[in-house]
Amino acid sequence: MLCGALISAVLVASAASPYPLLGHPAPDFALHAVAGGNVRLSEHGGDVVVLSFWGSRCGQCRMQLDALQRSFKTYHSAGLQVFGVDVDDDQTGALDYARTQALGFPLLLDPQKAVARAYLVDNLPMTILIDRAGSVRQVHRDFSSKFEPAFLQQLRVLLNE
Amino acid sequence: MTHVAHSRRTLVPRAVARGLVVLALGALLLAPHPTAWAQSAAVAPVTPTPAASAAPPKAAPAAKAQAADAAAEAAEVAAPAAPAAASSAADTRGLDQDIQGLKKDVVDLNRDLFVLEEELLFPANTQVAVFVSMDVGDFFLLDSVSLKIDQKEVANYLYTPREVEALNKGGVHRVYIGNLKAGAHELVAFFSGQGPHERDYRRGATIKFQKGIGAKYLELKINDRQRRQQPEFEIKDWE
Repeated sequence: MLCGALISAVLVASAASPYPLLGHPAPDFALHAVAGGNVRLSEHGGDVVVLSFWGSRCGQCRMQLDALQRSFKTYHSAGLQVFGVDVDDDQTGALDYARTQALGFPLLLDPQKAVARAYLVDNLPMTILIDRAGSVRQVHRDFSSKFEPAFLQQLRVLLNE
Repeated sequence: MTHVAHSRRTLVPRAVARGLVVLALGALLLAPHPTAWAQSAAVAPVTPTPAASAAPPKAAPAAKAQAADAAAEAAEVAAPAAPAAASSAADTRGLDQDIQGLKKDVVDLNRDLFVLEEELLFPANTQVAVFVSMDVGDFFLLDSVSLKIDQKEVANYLYTPREVEALNKGGVHRVYIGNLKAGAHELVAFFSGQGPHERDYRRGATIKFQKGIGAKYLELKINDRQRRQQPEFEIKDWE
C-alpha cells in the first residue's frame, strides 16, 4: 500500500512538474521524412514550428494529427510548420498511416528515439510549440476535446509575434 | 577550403579590444544626444500660450498685441526650423551608421571568439577535420554520410535537400572536426542516397592516413564518372 502511494505520488509530481525546456532553445535535429528526404529543424527558423510526437498504436495520436492537419491548412501561409515525429520501433504503422492519410505536413521517423529523448517526451501524444526565434514556448502532454481551442489560442499568439 | 590561422597570443588582445570598442559604442548610443535636447528646447516655445485665447473681451487689444508678439516669436523660431530639421536627419543618419558599425563589430567579435574557441578545443597538433564536397551530382543524390575513424563511429550526418543543393553549387561542408594523436589512422566513410535510376545507393571509401604535428584535413569528394554513368567516391588527403 505504501509502495502504491509512493508510485502515485511520483506520478502526480511528474505530471505537475513544469516542462524543463520551456523558454529554452529547441534542440536541433535532422530526421528522415516518410515522403523521402531529410528535415532539419534549424532550417525553419522564422516559422512557428509544432512538433507532435506520436506512435501508430496510439488512438489519440491520430486524432491529434487530424487536428494539427486542420490548423496546418489554415495557418501554413502565415508561417506555421508542423512535423509529426513517429517514435515507433517498427515504422510500418507510420508508413501505412502516411499512405492512407493525406497529411499536408511531413511525418518524420525517429526509430532510435534520439529526438524524443532530447525533447524529454514522457507521454504520447505530446505536442511542442516552438516560436519564430526557435524557443520552446508551449507543451501539451495529452490530447482531449479541450486541446484544440487552447492550442489554437496559443498558436495565434505565436503567429502574431 | 580556407583556414583562418591566428595565433592565440594575437587573438586574445584583439577580442578584448573589440569588446571594449563595442562597449564604448554602446555607451555612446545610450547616452542622451545633446543636439536633440537643444532642438526640442528650441521648438517648445512655438506652441501658442493658453493665456492669449482665454483672455476676457475687454482686454481684446491687449490680447491682440500678445497674439502679434507670439506670431512674431513663432516667425523667428520658424526661420531656423528648416536647418534644424536637416540637422536632425543628419543626426539620425549618423546614429544609423553607428548602429551598423556596432553590429559589424559584434559580428567580427563573434567570429574571433569562434576561431579562438576552435583553436582551444581542437589544437593544430591534434586536429583532424573532414569535409564533404560534390561535383555535379547527376548520378547521385546524397542522403547521408557516416564516418568511422579507427573503427569508431564519429559522425553521422543527414543532408537536407537545401544542403545538397548548396553542395551542388560548389559548397564544402565540414562534417567532422575532432582530435587525434600523431601516428597512423584509418578513415572509413559511408555514403548513402539515390544512385542512377533512383535506386538506393550505398558505397564506402577508405583511406589510411598519417597524422603528423600539424592539423590534418581530409576531403570526401563525390564525383560523377560520365564514362561509367556512375558516381565516384574519393577521399583526398590535404597536406
